[in-house]
Amino acid sequence: MAYVATRGGERAIEQAERMYRAQTGRITPSRVKEIGAALPALVDRVMGEASLYAPDLAALALAQSGGDLYEALLLLRAWRTTQPRLQVAEPVAADEGFTHRRISAAFKDIPGGQILGPTLDYAHRLLATQVLEGEAYKPAAVTPAATPAPARHPSLAAWQVAQGLVEPPMADPVDRDAIPDLTREPLLFPAKRAHTLQSLARADTGGTLALGYSAMRGYGTAHPTVNELRLSEVEVRVRHPRGVTFSAGRVKTSQAEVVTTKGKDRLRLGFAATLGWNEVKVISAATLDLNSPGAPKNSPVNEEFFLYHTEPVESSGFCIHFKLPHYVTFQSSLDALRGAQAKKEAPTPAKTEETA
Amino acid sequence: MFDRTTDPDDALLSVLARAGAEAIRAEAEAVLPQLGEVEVIRSRTGLVMLPMRDPVQGTEFHLGEVLVAEAHVRLPEHGVEGYGMVTGRDLERAMAMAVLDAGLQAGVEAARIRAFADAQRAAQQAEDHETLRRIEATRVDMETF
Repeated sequence: MAYVATRGGERAIEQAERMYRAQTGRITPSRVKEIGAALPALVDRVMGEASLYAPDLAALALAQSGGDLYEALLLLRAWRTTQPRLQVAEPVAADEGFTHRRISAAFKDIPGGQILGPTLDYAHRLLATQVLEGEAYKPAAVTPAATPAPARHPSLAAWQVAQGLVEPPMADPVDRDAIPDLTREPLLFPAKRAHTLQSLARADTGGTLALGYSAMRGYGTAHPTVNELRLSEVEVRVRHPRGVTFSAGRVKTSQAEVVTTKGKDRLRLGFAATLGWNEVKVISAATLDLNSPGAPKNSPVNEEFFLYHTEPVESSGFCIHFKLPHYVTFQSSLDALRGAQAKKEAPTPAKTEETA
Repeated sequence: MFDRTTDPDDALLSVLARAGAEAIRAEAEAVLPQLGEVEVIRSRTGLVMLPMRDPVQGTEFHLGEVLVAEAHVRLPEHGVEGYGMVTGRDLERAMAMAVLDAGLQAGVEAARIRAFADAQRAAQQAEDHETLRRIEATRVDMETF
């Protein structure tokens, strides 16, 4: 790949940007607020991929990009670099969140029970066309139970460890400031598990789904069953200068464990989590995690393959860069092609000459 | 975490951090005149990296960063400091928390601030209770045939 400086076109470039922005028109605080209120799933998806939990800013980025998710992500990832890192919060355990939804497809009677939470899993998918005829769609209110659900639910993996069904977690605790961080160090292979899980947490939902789905369909090494899917709000526990710890607020997180019986003598688990509620992403990403040990090089479940190809800013940026002027490289290839054609048409010489 | 046993200061600060923007601002404004001079050491937005522990191998990894507003104040007449941090970008909310924290440290309007925190705690617990009742309504008991 080669780059070349070009000149000219300033006026066209200016007008082209105006033309793009004219599609979305004026961006007002009320529009941003409406996006945040009306599209929580999209806001969550963008926050997870941006690796930045800031619902107002994610809604603004969506308004400004006209809903182009990769543009929105780029705005958020760029904005993030303007902010100082104040501290690293206390690590949260997978079973510590204020749980809104927690289900298992592998075990029917899990400790704590199955809580569906907010989901369309069992709903009819009917387009509410009456809205276009002027009739508002008003969802029915939840009828609360007499007693509250427990705020916390035990981890299914912990129960499986106790049952001798899976290997116990072996990693030693790490000082929170020493946890490997992809925003400050490169992704190298074989990847540290902390890098793999961080990379999946900020991965592109669509990319993760495509590669995870390929594994589910048989291009992987293990078929997943959802061991546990959990949507929670976790506390962001920070240090006060006096040395005590407190929660600065809650953020939404999704977690998935997927399981396969294809172990030596135990169940084997894959895991993924992300900021925001995004089930497709964590199930796909956990499937990739489950499939990656021992995966053949260049297969979709090889960690180098899926981590590189699901990084949303790099992949979308590389794709759209092909629209930018490549005149010199393309002309050079074209010259070589024409040279080859000319040689083919010319009478066969005694000896072919190498093209420069 | 939600129901983890914590040092009382810790729980109180968590309650202040979750208090509604208008309520905490009004409370801080009411307490402010009694505090004397308030020196602002810091008032800014920034990021807090949030790690999670992987339940499969026990590895700690970064989920992503959370935007927070942070405020740090000093009361020179009392020789104490106050600190606030809240998720989001509302600097005034963080400042109000820092002012109330400083008031508690200085023992100025401490009873009032504790009463405010108690009321907020009750409201937050009631809100959680109602949310958990709605969540409980989605508990499912599947039968296999």
